[in-house]
Amino acid sequence: MANKTVQFKIKRQDGPNSQPYWDEFEIPYRLGLNVISLFMEVALNPVTREGKQTTPVNYDSNCLEEVCGSCAMLINGKARMACSALVDNLEQPIQIEPFSKFPVVRDLQVDRSVLFENLKAVQAWVPIDGTYDLGSGPRVLPQVQEQAYRLSQCMSCSCCMEACPQFNESTGFVGAATIAQARLFNMHPTGKVLKEERLAALMGDGGIQECGYAQNCVEVCPKEIPLTKSISDVGGQVMKKAVLDFFRV
Amino acid sequence: MAKTPRIIIVGGGLAGLSAAIKVAEAGGSVDLFSVVPVKRSHSVCAQGGINSAKNLKGEGDSTWAHFDDTVYGGDFLANQVPVKQMCEMGPSIIDLLDRMGVPFNRTQEGLLDFRRFGGTLFNRTAFAGATTGQQLLYALDEQVRRFESEGKVRKFEYWEFLSSVIDSKGTCRGICAMDLRTMEVLTFPADAVLIATGGIGAIFGKSTNSVVCTGSAQSALYQQGAVYANAEMIQVHPTAIPGEDKVRLMSESARGEGGRVWVPKNPKETRAGKDVPEGERMYFLEEWYPKYGNLVPRDIATRAIHKVVHTLGLGVQGLPMVYLDLSHIDAATLDKKLGGILEIYEKFVGEDPRKVPMKIFPGMHYTMGGLWVDNDQQTNIPGLYAIGECDYSIHGANRLGANSLLSCIYAGFIAGPHSMKYAAGLGADPEDLQASFDAEKKRQLELNNHLIENQGTENPFQLWREMGETMSKNVTVTRYNDNIRETEAKLVELLERYKKVNLSDRSMWSNQSFMFTRQLYNMLQLARAVAMGARLRDESRGSHYKPDFPERDDANFLKTSMARFAGAAEGPRFDWEPVDVSLIKPRPRRYDSK
Amino acid sequence: MASTAQSANTALPKGVSPLRAGTGTSFLWRRLHSLTGIVPVGLFLLEHLISNAEILNGANAYNGQVKFLTGLPFRLWLEIFGIFLPLLYHAAYGVYIWWRGENNVIDYALKGNWFYTLQRYTGVLVFAYVAFHLWTMRFTGIHLTEHYDASVWKVQTELAHPLMIAVYAVGMLAACWHFGYGLFLFAAKWGIVTGEKAQKRAQVLGIALGLLLTLLGLVTIYSFVTRPAQEKNPLWEQPVQEQSQLMAPAATVR
Ligand SMILES: Cc1cc2nc3c(=O)[nH]c(=O)nc-3n(C[C@H](O)[C@H](O)[C@H](O)COP(=O)(O)OP(=O)(O)OC[C@H]3O[C@@H](n4cnc5c(N)ncnc54)[C@H](O)[C@@H]3O)c2cc1C
Ligand code: SF4
Ligand code: SF4
Ligand code: FES
Repeated sequence: MANKTVQFKIKRQDGPNSQPYWDEFEIPYRLGLNVISLFMEVALNPVTREGKQTTPVNYDSNCLEEVCGSCAMLINGKARMACSALVDNLEQPIQIEPFSKFPVVRDLQVDRSVLFENLKAVQAWVPIDGTYDLGSGPRVLPQVQEQAYRLSQCMSCSCCMEACPQFNESTGFVGAATIAQARLFNMHPTGKVLKEERLAALMGDGGIQECGYAQNCVEVCPKEIPLTKSISDVGGQVMKKAVLDFFRV
Repeated sequence: MAKTPRIIIVGGGLAGLSAAIKVAEAGGSVDLFSVVPVKRSHSVCAQGGINSAKNLKGEGDSTWAHFDDTVYGGDFLANQVPVKQMCEMGPSIIDLLDRMGVPFNRTQEGLLDFRRFGGTLFNRTAFAGATTGQQLLYALDEQVRRFESEGKVRKFEYWEFLSSVIDSKGTCRGICAMDLRTMEVLTFPADAVLIATGGIGAIFGKSTNSVVCTGSAQSALYQQGAVYANAEMIQVHPTAIPGEDKVRLMSESARGEGGRVWVPKNPKETRAGKDVPEGERMYFLEEWYPKYGNLVPRDIATRAIHKVVHTLGLGVQGLPMVYLDLSHIDAATLDKKLGGILEIYEKFVGEDPRKVPMKIFPGMHYTMGGLWVDNDQQTNIPGLYAIGECDYSIHGANRLGANSLLSCIYAGFIAGPHSMKYAAGLGADPEDLQASFDAEKKRQLELNNHLIENQGTENPFQLWREMGETMSKNVTVTRYNDNIRETEAKLVELLERYKKVNLSDRSMWSNQSFMFTRQLYNMLQLARAVAMGARLRDESRGSHYKPDFPERDDANFLKTSMARFAGAAEGPRFDWEPVDVSLIKPRPRRYDSK
Repeated sequence: MASTAQSANTALPKGVSPLRAGTGTSFLWRRLHSLTGIVPVGLFLLEHLISNAEILNGANAYNGQVKFLTGLPFRLWLEIFGIFLPLLYHAAYGVYIWWRGENNVIDYALKGNWFYTLQRYTGVLVFAYVAFHLWTMRFTGIHLTEHYDASVWKVQTELAHPLMIAVYAVGMLAACWHFGYGLFLFAAKWGIVTGEKAQKRAQVLGIALGLLLTLLGLVTIYSFVTRPAQEKNPLWEQPVQEQSQLMAPAATVR
């Protein structure tokens, strides 16, 4: 095991409009390395495999516990979180790239703000009257809480969007995460009050109809959010609304 | 009509977001700065829960009992009035979070469920699955997004706070910040500034904290004249999973369910843990504490592990690690009782703890110390507030589990409205106000230029690693003044070497190592305050433990340590402030009774 | 304001645009596409396959079925509004969908993604096949409306070459798969089947139906090919009595 190494290559890009290039690295193997620790290793000694001096890799990260949603990138071609990607489970040379469907800021950093815009568009919140003391919240049965909790763990990493064949510039598809969040708030006893607005929003261009049901989203979601179920569920809600609107409005 | 008060909030964790909501609701206009999108703040990491004496379990819990537990747990170092207020506000905070849609666990009647945490006899901790912090943060984040879409909050994400702007009267009038993408430095005026920048884990190298918990903002303010209080009060979690990139929490329930802690007797042992025969293992907790065995209290376990590794040199494979072994328990039982936490270990270590012993080590977890604030969360600089983990109030010398999330929200709820009141009473601008802004910006730009142009040989990440190592070794669990002096000298050496720091990346576009290097300087300066505070406090209190001074010394040290920055070379200067113990008389804190 | 930034050339590209909440008509068109795939196009496919299977009851039965279908009242309107237009819409919008999707089955070789990709490619395939089939069987050659009794002959002539058999078999498989899986997609997207397990079941059922229909189609082809060659009906060369009443163009067998 003495001279076992880890080989990896990183697709880098100096700025949003620069040409991407690859840097290859090789570092001594240690037990328990994850992809983030490879970057830390490079920062300590920014030299490529060929001995060329380079710069530390730029990437987003924060919690390193797969709960903040920062460190999403393509690892061996797949959208996933770098902090929970253990070197031992990856084929080498490990190929690391930024997300392909989001504007690259630098190296592995991409701009994922579109998801936050989408959450705004569907009003993904409970519209409380105010923060003053208004007594306890509505009663919620444990079964309902369990359902809600599953959805509420979405960390906005955008893996589901990156992997979705329908999420691209020509469709402007909203992506699975936002649909699941709309479902979450439509489920809440008070959040429901905005249900119609949320559904109307999701029937707009780029809305739920763009989903082609490839189910990649649910396969790649690191938090195992029931995305396809949510899409179907909200799919039913929008159809009901469409039909009722047709006859009643 | 009076003009809308403009409040700057730096940091979008629980503290920052709760303040933002209060300000926006009160009609203020908020500029919210954060180095990461606020939804990705460190608060997401909190797993256990949030305390409040709702007394829904028929146990006769009360806000006074919560208050007493908190003060007692903190070994009487916390000023008591704000603690009492926080505990009284607790139930309404939980109700509010509930109304915001936090998916708290429920009883079969649909009411909030509570569980028991360390340091109390009551089921007082509300929780949402195993990710309570995440769920709370999201609820607040959603409310802030709502205000954002109404134009009441402007977010500056991927912006780093560099310093405050202080006018000629000594009042805080805004901040100087840097866009992490364009690297542009700008100043922003405000009527009041709220600092909510969280923990300082990075000062200890690896900690259970998130990457951005560098304490850089706090340090910058300390260097600008803000008092940093109880710097030495650092909480260490006994069972954390050492990782290549960070240490991650391993719940105490692993020991509770029969986990045994051991190391190989032979320091040169190379076999894998599971292959070491029974006779060659040293179950040191069971040996040293036959009565409690592996279930000794947190601080004792922590100190014992440190002793085994640092004093006896018996860490597993020469590394700072010991085994926490569950493999003697059958897998089905483990899955039933510990399923979730075993999965965390499997996910990040890649080994199955049902089959092989886990490797653990105490990890730096939380800072009780922070920016000094008064009972309204205002620092000694008028117009500058500090809230959340970055302020020193509430937790004294030791924080109780699940009290931090509450204290963050409480602080935001106090500082938000108070800053609005403060803004309304703000007098006329001094004539040279613009000059103060210009000067601060100039100072920051010069720092940047200096750093970019600096030629040297020192790698900032290497300096950081060395700082983390010395701080973790000497200024965490067991503290000896000699060792601390060594660390202080080392920090001075690192600051010296910092002058020769060399950036391998000199570009001015989203240059993370540049920002890191900037933060590193602040970390080093703050680390000196932590170390010196630890050296000066010659007693043992809460998480601060000195074998040479094993007793609490109320006569000399029932005092808040106040670190003031004396200059880049001199570092900190300390004075001491008496603690408000007006409500509960200090009594001995004994870990074997409660 | 002075700054250390080099802001030139650093503007971020726009990327995928956010949801255009509540605006536009794509919802309607996309759902219409989905619907037309089931009704009427899918239903018609079913009918067509079953009608074709009449051949298993003998050539006369088959010719009789053609006679029945071509004799339906308002047949032309039924054809135009019940088949051609919806089919054309389904096909055209389908191609548009296909063109806008970004197939990534190489990176994500996952079951659902394969099926998604297949749905696109079978769609295009079926489109080409149907166009060809319509051309040879509906718009050229002997007009079966006038000469329903030449139906079997016409089919057999079409399938004379082994290559043609292959084309038909592939077309059949593609159409049936597209329909069967489309049925599942319909159920999933319209929120008819929402549960995780229920969807797995529905997916299996959809695919099974597709394969079953394919089998039916293949048996039908087999039956045509292996049956003794049918006479081209001598009647057609002389004016038939009813012929004058059957003026409109027609056909169903395709
Ligand atoms: C693993 C773990 C588990 C925990 N579990 C619990 C628990 O169960 N219960 C409990 O009560 N407590 C728990 N805690 C403690 C608790 O999570 C934290 O104390 C709390 O979340 C701190 O919140 P905050 O709002 O003060 O700061 P944070 O959530 O850390 O937010 C800091 C914010 O400041 C921003 N920021 C920092 N520096 C700058 C800068 N220079 N410029 C601009 N922005 C900046 C960051 O981007 C971020 O938005 C736990 C802690 C850890 C590490
Ligand atoms: S089901 Fe497929 S098309 Fe729909 S959101 Fe998920 S990945 Fe995208
Ligand atoms: S749904 Fe899953 S993959 Fe998508 S953003 Fe949320 S956590 Fe990430
Ligand atoms: S760093 Fe938070 S998810 Fe990976």
